[in-house]
Amino acid sequence: MSSTASAPLSASPRRASTGALTRVVRSPLLRFVGRRLLVAIPVLWGVTFLTFVVINHLPGNAAQQLLGVNATPQEVHQLAVKLGVDKPLLSQYGTWLSHLVQGDLGHSLASGQSVTSILGTDLPITFELIAYAFLISLGLAIPIALVAARRPNGIFDRTSMVFSMAGLSIANYILALILVYFFAVKLNWLPALGWVPPNKGLATNIKYLTLPAISVALSLMCFYTRQLRADLVQQLRTEDYVTTARAKGVGEWRVIRHHALRNSAFGLITAVALNLGTLLGVTVIIEQIFGLPGIGHELLSAINSRDLPVVEGAVFVFALIVVLANLLADLLYAALDPRVKYGSTN
Amino acid sequence: MVGSTGESPLSRPRAGRSPAWMSRRRCGASLIAVCACVAVTACGSSSKPATSSAATSSAATSSASGTGTSSASGTGHAGGTLTVLESAGFAGDWPTGLDPATNTNGAADQSQMDAIYAEPFELQPGGKLAPDLATGYKFSNGGKTVTVTFRKGLKFSDGTPLNAQAVAFNWNRDLKSPCTCKPTIMVKAITAADDSTVKVDMLVPDGAFINQLQDSNFSWIASPTALKKMGEQQFKLKPVGAGPFTVVSDTLSNQLVLKKNPTYWDTGKPLLDGLTFKTTAGDETALEAMQSGQAQAYEGMNTPKLVNSFKDKFTITAQPSTSPYDIQLNTAIPPFNNKDARLAIYYATDTALLNQKLFGNIYPDTQSFTAQAGLFYNPTVPGYPGYDLNKAKAMVKQIGGLNVNFFTITQPATQNFMVALQQMWKQAGINASIHFYSLASLIQQFQGKWQAALQTAGAWDPAGGVGVAFRFNSHSPFSGVHDPKLDDLLNQGQGATDPATRKSFYDKAAEYIAQNAYGPFLFPVATWNVAAHGVTGPGLTSAIPSVAVNPQVLWEDVSAS
Repeated sequence: MSSTASAPLSASPRRASTGALTRVVRSPLLRFVGRRLLVAIPVLWGVTFLTFVVINHLPGNAAQQLLGVNATPQEVHQLAVKLGVDKPLLSQYGTWLSHLVQGDLGHSLASGQSVTSILGTDLPITFELIAYAFLISLGLAIPIALVAARRPNGIFDRTSMVFSMAGLSIANYILALILVYFFAVKLNWLPALGWVPPNKGLATNIKYLTLPAISVALSLMCFYTRQLRADLVQQLRTEDYVTTARAKGVGEWRVIRHHALRNSAFGLITAVALNLGTLLGVTVIIEQIFGLPGIGHELLSAINSRDLPVVEGAVFVFALIVVLANLLADLLYAALDPRVKYGSTN
Repeated sequence: MVGSTGESPLSRPRAGRSPAWMSRRRCGASLIAVCACVAVTACGSSSKPATSSAATSSAATSSASGTGTSSASGTGHAGGTLTVLESAGFAGDWPTGLDPATNTNGAADQSQMDAIYAEPFELQPGGKLAPDLATGYKFSNGGKTVTVTFRKGLKFSDGTPLNAQAVAFNWNRDLKSPCTCKPTIMVKAITAADDSTVKVDMLVPDGAFINQLQDSNFSWIASPTALKKMGEQQFKLKPVGAGPFTVVSDTLSNQLVLKKNPTYWDTGKPLLDGLTFKTTAGDETALEAMQSGQAQAYEGMNTPKLVNSFKDKFTITAQPSTSPYDIQLNTAIPPFNNKDARLAIYYATDTALLNQKLFGNIYPDTQSFTAQAGLFYNPTVPGYPGYDLNKAKAMVKQIGGLNVNFFTITQPATQNFMVALQQMWKQAGINASIHFYSLASLIQQFQGKWQAALQTAGAWDPAGGVGVAFRFNSHSPFSGVHDPKLDDLLNQGQGATDPATRKSFYDKAAEYIAQNAYGPFLFPVATWNVAAHGVTGPGLTSAIPSVAVNPQVLWEDVSAS
């Protein structure tokens, strides 16, 4: 009796939980994320394979680079065998890939350190640099664009356009040298070289990262300013909801900040996500100029020494970050606009 | 052969350092590629006995043995710290760590290595070789055996003894390493003869052995105990030696923080409390960092135009180079298997004009693989085919024209050099196509059918690492000459223990190269060391010859006021 009575009672929560699970699994958002992550697999494979091919086709191999100019072909061959870089490309790649699947990114051919530990040490520095650069660029771009869009072709808009064009025209490494000259050499406000970890003083850490971050951020800021300003102006001129808001007596600033900005943010989010890949490339140069021990610096050194595991590890992580950033951008679209439905064809 | 009784130059007293004391080169360009989404160095009051400078003649130029009790002395201030900048791509790169056996970039990283390990012997201003960790050496067995005596009571910074056993352990370990940073010495056996004497038996006589230490990893002795305790992987990241400084932190190819070694053998040294090496992108960024006060010294500035711009702001010291440029010709294949074609290159090359136009005549011309700051200097070689445009034209006409594939390393200075040579040769009817390669690609060129290359040939001692044999010996993969007679002359130049004999062989070799037109020599170019006012030190603010590329800095004597 008790057994028969208990059966429906225990089945009911199970069915409920199964139903909830089914609902979650069938959630358009989750299915969208799942599809995007599945698509990321061939992307990551393609990027790592391409990098493998490119590095292997550069003149010289790790053995040659490690042994230096005095090495005889025999010595180079012996070390190549020891390092495993004498094997066919596909074999090397297959080995690397199989280790990757097991969560092992291998060891640096040059230093012998695990790639994971190298990335663990270097990536936070680069992430901090990039985050700081985004903070500066977006923190300035958004208010400038808002003010510029309020009076298109006005004095502020024109001035910001000239400034933006100048900023977009100057290469990061030139800007870095100019900034160092003024802020480190002439004014002696900020350091020209080096890095201090946050645990030795956050203020000092930020001080050391300011010039590198500005070097990265300026062109970004100019780009974002122009893009957001253009989007805002278009929204303000063509969209019905703007006209409606104005007709309801909503103030111009409120229209811009609360209505137009939200709708214009799509383009900005897309640009930020797409810029991330380029930005990781820029850090290679900026970290070298400012002597930052980030992953860009490590990547350059690894390329020069043909340290394939480090290059592959860094490139893999870079690619993963770009993929995830783009996914996050897509998700933000829905957060900004409830009309965006994932998994819907219309 | 002079015994180790005080008669040899190293045993003689040397002068205290004069105020003159108060007063390198990266190769390679950085390559930027890949990214994810796309397929981017005074003088301190020294405990070392003051000695007479007249007696500090070079080991190689005076005697086949030597002893001594000191290295350097000075009058600098004790205390303070110093940040030294090193160029990325050369001295600023130590991707494989700082273990002598595996640091393939050892010659470039000699400042970091010397600061951590010190050296058995060290080069001093004026090119004098003086004992540091060692006290002397002696050749025997016709130059096939050398015994090196080390100071008694030396200790590594971990407290363990630096004795003959430790040295023998290191040298044997270096030789077993796949690293070509090991010396090019034909060793039969290395053993500890007693607690302070290391005996090296060689297969062939090698009178250059002591000098060859300077540009090899034999110069740096690692603590065997620390090595065993830490393991190679950890040791290379935080090495333990018996030098003036110990490692505080090491971020590969970025920053090396060192502090004074309280157990350093020379009481009162080093003068500095701390020494930090930082990697910088290049000359401009280095000088900006120095102007901002973030660094007090920069080794190896190689942009001549910056010297005048910054000479009032910093102490800029030209470091004497020992490695002249030469135009390597591959005599194994056409066109330079024809002596007339080689002569055409000699006759068409106006070395004096190049020196004047490109470098303002600051470097002395040389007709051999030796340079003013190096050993066995021989600037004028009998029978050297000098510049003669008419003869060049006649030679080119005689051989029916001359087209040359000509390459060098990618570097701003060499690029101007190559273009100037191309234009100069054109006047003689020589058509040269010029190519620039990164170091890795450059090395590969020598494995193919290369014709001509702008290179450097020579070292402080011609028998050193990238010395004359590197470019002219049949057995070198980077040689365009395969002549047993020249090999023999070079081998005898290295093998003899008597400096005068060595010089005579090298003079003959230079003459032989000229007679056979194996490749014209130009002049040695040098780098500059930059120091903030108040910073002084031998090699940093006074000249010490470059061993191979960079001069040594005697970090234990460097002071920052």
